[in-house]
Amino acid sequence: MIGNIRDLARKWLEDKEVDAIFALREQNGYLAPYLFTNVDKLGSMEISTQYRLSYTCRPSKENILSLMQRKEPSTRIGIVARGCEERALIELAKRSQIDLGKTKIMGIACTQEEAIECKCERPYPDNLVLGQKVEGVSQDENVDALLNKSITERLAFWRYQFSKCIKCYGCRNACPMCFCKDCKMEQGVFTETGWLPPEIPMFLFIRFSHISERCIWCGECEKACPVDIPLLTLFKLLRRDIKDLFDYEAGMDMTQEAPLLTTLDEMPMKEELASGI
Amino acid sequence: MVEFEPKILAFCCNWCSYRGADLAGISRIKYPPNVRIIRVMCSGRVEPEFVVKALSSGADGVLVLGCHIGDCHYIYGNHRTAKRMAILQRLLGYLGIEPSRLRLEWVSAAEGSRFSKIVTEFTSEIKRLGPNPLKNITLQNPTILRDEKR
Repeated sequence: MIGNIRDLARKWLEDKEVDAIFALREQNGYLAPYLFTNVDKLGSMEISTQYRLSYTCRPSKENILSLMQRKEPSTRIGIVARGCEERALIELAKRSQIDLGKTKIMGIACTQEEAIECKCERPYPDNLVLGQKVEGVSQDENVDALLNKSITERLAFWRYQFSKCIKCYGCRNACPMCFCKDCKMEQGVFTETGWLPPEIPMFLFIRFSHISERCIWCGECEKACPVDIPLLTLFKLLRRDIKDLFDYEAGMDMTQEAPLLTTLDEMPMKEELASGI
Repeated sequence: MVEFEPKILAFCCNWCSYRGADLAGISRIKYPPNVRIIRVMCSGRVEPEFVVKALSSGADGVLVLGCHIGDCHYIYGNHRTAKRMAILQRLLGYLGIEPSRLRLEWVSAAEGSRFSKIVTEFTSEIKRLGPNPLKNITLQNPTILRDEKR
C-alpha cells in the first residue's frame, strides 16, 4: 500500500502535476507532517491512522494546509487523504478555509481492521485513487446504549461523563472543523472560567452546537480525550438527525451548502420533523 | 403543598413578538405571570448557548418567539432560528433534557391573543413536566460529582 502511494507521488511530482506532496514523514521513529518537493525523499513517506493531516496546528489555530496556502497561494499541493480527511478538506473548502482548486487529493481507502478500530461508517474517500473499498461499520454500541436510556438516565450519564472533563481543550484542538480564532470555550461569557470540572453541560455543549452540522465524524475529539468522554456518540446522533431534517451530510458534496448557513428556501427543512421528537 | 410555579424565559424579537406581547398587555389579555421576557433584535440572535444558559441558570422552560416565516425584519433571520432550534431540540433530548422545555413559535405584532395562548399552553406544559433537572446539577458544588461512579 505505502509502496503504491510513494510510486504515485513520484509520478505526480515528476509529471509536474503538483508542485509538492503533503503527507507524513518518518524521522527518528516519529511521524510528522512534511511537504515533499524532492522525489529522492519520498522513501520516508508513511501513512498512519494515528495522525491525520487535517490536524489543527496551535497556537495560530490554523489548519496546516490553510497556513501553507496563505503563505504560498500559487503552489499546487497534492495531499494523501483517507476518507475522513477528504471529508474534512471538502468541509473546510466550503467554509473558505482552504482552496481545493489548488489541491489534488490522493484518496486512499482504509483497511477493514482500521475501519473497525475507528468505528468508521465510511472508510473510503469519494475520490478513491489507491486501495480497495471496504464496508464501513454501521453499528455503534455507544449510540445504541444512549438511545435505550430514559431521559433522566441520559442526564445522569452525561453528568458523570462531563464531570470527568479536565478542560484540556484536546477535543477542540484535535477537531479539523474547529478553526475559529476566538473560541467561545475560552471566554468567560457562557462558562465561568477557573472551575474544574467546567460548567455542566455548557462547556462541552458549546462544541456540540457549533460543530453539529459540520462534523465529519472522524472521531479525533474522542481519541484526543484523555478521560474518555464519548463525544462522538452525540455527534453521530446529530449527524443522523441532520440527514433526516435536511438530507445533508457534511463533507460529501462540495456543491451542497451547509444547512445552517442557508435559508429555508435554499435548503428546506422537513417540517413534519421540525417541532417534535 | 404549594403548587410548582415554573420560571419561563421568553426571547421575543423586537419587530413582531415583542410588539405582540405589548399588544396583549394593551388589550388587557390575561396570561400567566411565570414568563419573563427578554427582547432581542431578531430571533436569529438567539444562540443555542442562550437556551442552555437559561436552563442551567434556573429557568424551567424557554420560549423563542419570532416573526412568521417571510415576515422577518432581516429577511432570513428566522429561517436560521427554525433550523437551529430543530437541531437544538434533538441535542437537548440526547443530553437528557426534555426537548419540550424549548419551544419555538411565530407571533406577529398583531397577535396579542396568540401570544397569551402560547404562554398559557407552555406554562401548563412545563407545570406538567416539573422542575428542570439541569438546575440542580449546575448549582451543586462541582467537586462532589467527581466521587460519584455511575
